[in-house]
Amino acid sequence: MSARPTSPGPVFETEVLIIGGGTTGTGVMRDLALRGIHCLLIDQRDLNAGASGGNHGLLHSGGRYAAGDADTAAECRREGDILKAVAPECIDACGGLFVAVEGDDPEFAARFPEHCRSAGIECSAITPAEARELEPCLSEKVYAAYKVPDATIDPFRITLENVNHARQLTQSIFLAHTELERFIVEEGTIRSAICRDTRSGDTLTIRARQVVNAAGAWAMQVARLAGCSGVQLLYSKGTLIISNARIGRRVINRLRPPGDGDILVPGGTVSLLGTTSQTVENLDDIHPSVAEVDRLVAEGCALVPQIAHTRFIRAFSGVRPLLMARGAETDGRKASRGFSLFDHESEGLANFATVAGGKLTTFRLMAEKTGDLVARRLGNSEPCKTATTPLPSGDAIRWTEPGFAARYWAARREPGDLILCECEMVPTSAIDAIVENAPGAELQMSLNAIAVRSRVGKGTCQGAFCSLRVTSHLYDRQVYDSPLGLRNTRDFVAQRFKGVAPVAWGEHLPQLELAEALHCALLGLDQLTDDGLQSPTTGGRVP
Amino acid sequence: MIKEPRRHQAELLVIGSGLAGMAASLFALARGVSVAQVGNSGVIAFTTGYLDLLGHDERGFVDDPWQALIRLREDEPRHPLANVTENDIRAAFTSFTQSLTEMGLGYTAPGAHNVLALTPAGTLKPTLSLPLTMQPAIAAMAAGLDTLIVDFTGLNGFSAREVVANLSQRWPGLRAARIGFPDMDSGAEVYAEVLARALEVPATRQLLAERIGPLLGSAQALGLPAILGVHRPDHVHRELQSLLGVPVFEIPTMPPAVPGVRLRELFETRLPQCGVALEPQHRVKRLELHTQGVTAHLEDAYGEVTIEAAAAVLATGRFTSGGLRADPNAIRETLVNLAVSQPEGRAHWYRPDYFDPRGHAINRSGVMVDEQWRPLDATGKPAHPRLFAAGSLLAHQDWIRQRCGAGVAIATAYKAVDAATQAARSG
Amino acid sequence: MNTASPIATHTIDFKAAARDLLPPGASYDACLSCGLCSAGCPASGLEGMDPRRFIRMAMLGMNEELSTTPWIWTCTQCQRCKYVCPMSIDVAVLVGLARGAWPTEKKPSGIVRSCEAQLRFPGTSAMGLQEEDFVETVEETVASVRGQGDRFARLEAPIDRQGAHFFVNQNSREPATEPEEMGPLWKIFDYVGADWTYSSTGWAAENFCMFTGDDQAWRKMVEQRVAAVNRLGCKVWLNTECGHSFYTVWKGVERFGLKADFEPASLVSYYARWIREGRLPVNAEWNTQGIKFTVQDPCQLVRKSLGDTMADDIRYVARMLVGEENFIDMAPSRSANYCCGGGGGFLQAGMKEQRWAYGKRKFDQITSTQADYVLTPCHNCHSQIEDLARHFHGGYRVVHFWTLICLSLGMLGEHERKYLGPDLARLGLGA
Repeated sequence: MSARPTSPGPVFETEVLIIGGGTTGTGVMRDLALRGIHCLLIDQRDLNAGASGGNHGLLHSGGRYAAGDADTAAECRREGDILKAVAPECIDACGGLFVAVEGDDPEFAARFPEHCRSAGIECSAITPAEARELEPCLSEKVYAAYKVPDATIDPFRITLENVNHARQLTQSIFLAHTELERFIVEEGTIRSAICRDTRSGDTLTIRARQVVNAAGAWAMQVARLAGCSGVQLLYSKGTLIISNARIGRRVINRLRPPGDGDILVPGGTVSLLGTTSQTVENLDDIHPSVAEVDRLVAEGCALVPQIAHTRFIRAFSGVRPLLMARGAETDGRKASRGFSLFDHESEGLANFATVAGGKLTTFRLMAEKTGDLVARRLGNSEPCKTATTPLPSGDAIRWTEPGFAARYWAARREPGDLILCECEMVPTSAIDAIVENAPGAELQMSLNAIAVRSRVGKGTCQGAFCSLRVTSHLYDRQVYDSPLGLRNTRDFVAQRFKGVAPVAWGEHLPQLELAEALHCALLGLDQLTDDGLQSPTTGGRVP
Repeated sequence: MIKEPRRHQAELLVIGSGLAGMAASLFALARGVSVAQVGNSGVIAFTTGYLDLLGHDERGFVDDPWQALIRLREDEPRHPLANVTENDIRAAFTSFTQSLTEMGLGYTAPGAHNVLALTPAGTLKPTLSLPLTMQPAIAAMAAGLDTLIVDFTGLNGFSAREVVANLSQRWPGLRAARIGFPDMDSGAEVYAEVLARALEVPATRQLLAERIGPLLGSAQALGLPAILGVHRPDHVHRELQSLLGVPVFEIPTMPPAVPGVRLRELFETRLPQCGVALEPQHRVKRLELHTQGVTAHLEDAYGEVTIEAAAAVLATGRFTSGGLRADPNAIRETLVNLAVSQPEGRAHWYRPDYFDPRGHAINRSGVMVDEQWRPLDATGKPAHPRLFAAGSLLAHQDWIRQRCGAGVAIATAYKAVDAATQAARSG
Repeated sequence: MNTASPIATHTIDFKAAARDLLPPGASYDACLSCGLCSAGCPASGLEGMDPRRFIRMAMLGMNEELSTTPWIWTCTQCQRCKYVCPMSIDVAVLVGLARGAWPTEKKPSGIVRSCEAQLRFPGTSAMGLQEEDFVETVEETVASVRGQGDRFARLEAPIDRQGAHFFVNQNSREPATEPEEMGPLWKIFDYVGADWTYSSTGWAAENFCMFTGDDQAWRKMVEQRVAAVNRLGCKVWLNTECGHSFYTVWKGVERFGLKADFEPASLVSYYARWIREGRLPVNAEWNTQGIKFTVQDPCQLVRKSLGDTMADDIRYVARMLVGEENFIDMAPSRSANYCCGGGGGFLQAGMKEQRWAYGKRKFDQITSTQADYVLTPCHNCHSQIEDLARHFHGGYRVVHFWTLICLSLGMLGEHERKYLGPDLARLGLGA
């Protein structure tokens, strides 16, 4: 890294600039690092800020696509097996069921095993009674059931591991809150990327020999900044809701053509019910709505009746970036789950590639194909190693798994390691490890950034209490010595609120009411202003 | 098994043991009315201890709540506080804070202006009356005294450094220090409530003073998290001040915090001594309304208890306290199924932005009352001539954003008890 | 987690159990994670656990950890957590379940042995006292009390008297180790002319079987006692100065759906009634030295059973006995009182360090009242609070109500003063 006066701001140099800190971008980063290549990864927000953090963490057996998209189904199966082998710590091989309930098309159900067979997916028929024995939460109206090797994956953990591994291998770098503003293109080659640190407002320049666009839903915009219009995406918003406690042991899929509220996926200590699908035009202000939540609950009840009385603690939305072939489907559910790698050479660029579409389960394959292209362009002949090299874990990157922190704390028996997030039992040592050494750790790390790397704010209280305890700890550690820390807390709880409000009823509404009382009536976070001064101008009075 | 039926009889039944319920019992006692009271203390346990009347309106922080109330009567005529006269509010507030002080929990008398009191984040909260243990902060801040804020190893969620970092622009003479609490300094978690109880032992105060003394240096005042005793805070406060020789003040902590425990235990101890038949931490399961009064049915650990009264004040609070319940698409009142003023459907309960200064519509939902503080049923008529309502259960106010929780509780309890007393004694 | 551990086979699904055992509004799902329970629990921090953590771990599915944590033997199931919870969530009930799931050989042997002893003989004594020993001890002690003077010449302690109004139980501690302590109790019955009887079966007051978490043993114990009362046709089962035995019986009758033809009552309620009625004309005139007293509310009698009505009776009796100005209440008290740490079998569990740590709060509470004596109608409270005084070098003593009642009425014998200090050792005995 060296500053050159002709370029705006500090200059970073790297072999490959990767844009987009989701599973794909970080997957490419690790893939290239395993070939000995130095990368610099940027994200306008943070790791998994897009679809990678907005999904149900389902590692598809392929069953869900068996009927409509045999290629994707088969791809899912192969990739799932690879990930189970190289990243077992990120995966819960819980298995899955496909069940049809009264009212679902019997013909569709009857053809399911045949579709699975042709995609090479293990699938065994069980009786409804057997299904209900395996998953007592299932509706009594189940009439057909099949077991498949579905699993779940922690998308945050896999992303952190990717970045961590790349950092270990080639000292590759991740920069959060770094937004691409423009490319400097000379003679069909991107020479540098001019970026802005959205937190400080400062400009920086990144020089790279190759540029990879893995910006997910934003890939179209990034491609356009490079003057490329070949990347066409359909934005499909999907909303999911999270229960307060885990509901079933396995992934429970409704055996019908994909629709709202037909997958219930365990996420360690919780369950996620999804997904809706709604085509959206732009990517701003994506958040879950009450109507979507109601639809999920209504549909979910048919599969698992207790959904009607379940306490949900959060809703969230992601945008699936679906590839749109010319004149193809505009229905998000039916659009391809496949991916494409654009080399942009026909558009006159020699060192730019876009990888788009696809899905979480196939991220490694997407990274492999991208890595092959980029390595070839760099004259690097190392083969892809991601299918066989296990991911190393580490102190700072193991805190996203639901329940891990709690088990760690309980086993360690270190009473001085105070628990800062009681719901998820995240201890001080976890926060310290993250602040010191997690991918993307930086001075004055925000609560949002800590939360991406841990379970802080993800439990029952949704940040109402833990945000305050973690903030106090950050002040104690002198991460903060000004009102900035408190403003970050305010921004964090404001962010959490967007996911809480749509599920606030029943048992969860008191939690939100209490949170607001704490944040506003007790602490006055609603009155914080960004200049660091609280608004009251009245002096203190002596009563 | 044979169990003797257990019954209480009183002129007035107060349902709810939050601030409004407690205030209602005190006001009824002051009128010589016999009282039975039932209720879970609910959110009272989460209070700072500050009693605010009206701390915030659309112009921002309120300096003079009495002026702001005049505007409130114009702008929000349905607001519960807009329906109580200034005289009544003053009388209620004064009587309430006096009662607390007489019962052993000293409070400042409500004045002409709000004061800005400290929060654990180092922000400021406008309030009308505050515990005497917290009061010295106001003068120390106004005078800009060199002040030491001390926190404790293991006291999760209270950081002296945080207080200083957020307050030092306004109060430059602040300094932070951390110590271990005597006999509880292993590093393991300690709770404010436990520290507070330990400070009721004179020897512990002495040890604490010995640890703090050397840190004071040039400090002219000392700030501590709210741990100065639970049932004799004024005594503990005085003792510690005299041991240290500087003014000492408390800063409220985040829940679970001592100020709420103080209020709960004070009421639970003193009200029965004053003759209130209190069923603490239980809820009325069913309320029968009949011509001559009400019959409440509840269950304690041992079984059924029945309470007969000539009139009842409903002060069951909002969602966290259980007075209101949110079904997925409607809000209901949980005991009598009273009409609830509410937004049309859940999509309108909350605004998109958490901190929208206009507040969320759901917070203004609640029970509607007539001019006699009688809650209305679905037809818009009083549900019963002997049933009255008070406190945060009432519609058309947002206690969280307007910082008027205590004001609404105390003022409406005052009026509801007034009306209920008349009804109870009308024969 | 080692799934081969012997305890793993006893793992409970706590979340499911909580759903089944708790009322809907007070389920673990309703927990706000606010921590009021933990802040108000003397067992918080012991074994790295507290009530909130217990709930959270249940919700997180940490069943093996919860099934194996020794914390459940330091939680006295006093239900203070439930009392202070805004949602009234009960942790104690699942602690009981967890206790029951431990392999018997791993449970604290003191509790297990006490329960086994109770099951061995029809007297149901945890100290293994057999019925003939009990009868003999009572008869010998009656003779001794009668010898104290003419006024006691016709004093009786009937056993198995059919149709007596009161069926009176007796903590084993007295007949087994300090029979002279039964004297004051009998003198009170004699004084008010109570129509009462002991029973040769089911007479013991303690019930450690409940503390083992073994519902079947608890049930068997209660069945034996209920049968004993039913057999004698008594109207009132009068629980003497003991806390948990009251709770175990009435709760057991309800929980196991037993048929009981009597009314359970606490002796303290009757002290209060007899004083109010003038039948037990106690006063505080003896307390010329201004000796200060406080009372310990047994959780099992107050918070877990009769509530503040019971606490009021305890105070009424105490005030009448020691004088209004000499009575100092602890804070908090009544239904909000802290368990002393003697409950739940803690005294028999062998976890001394933890028990003292638990009891420190009670010790501080007592110390800040500056009382000279703690009055408590519960043997476990009595033992623990005495032990706390020894351990923390407290300057107070612990005394039964019956001792002070007899002292006040001038009928406390010379050998019935074990728990009184030098200040009262000779009071009323003459030179």
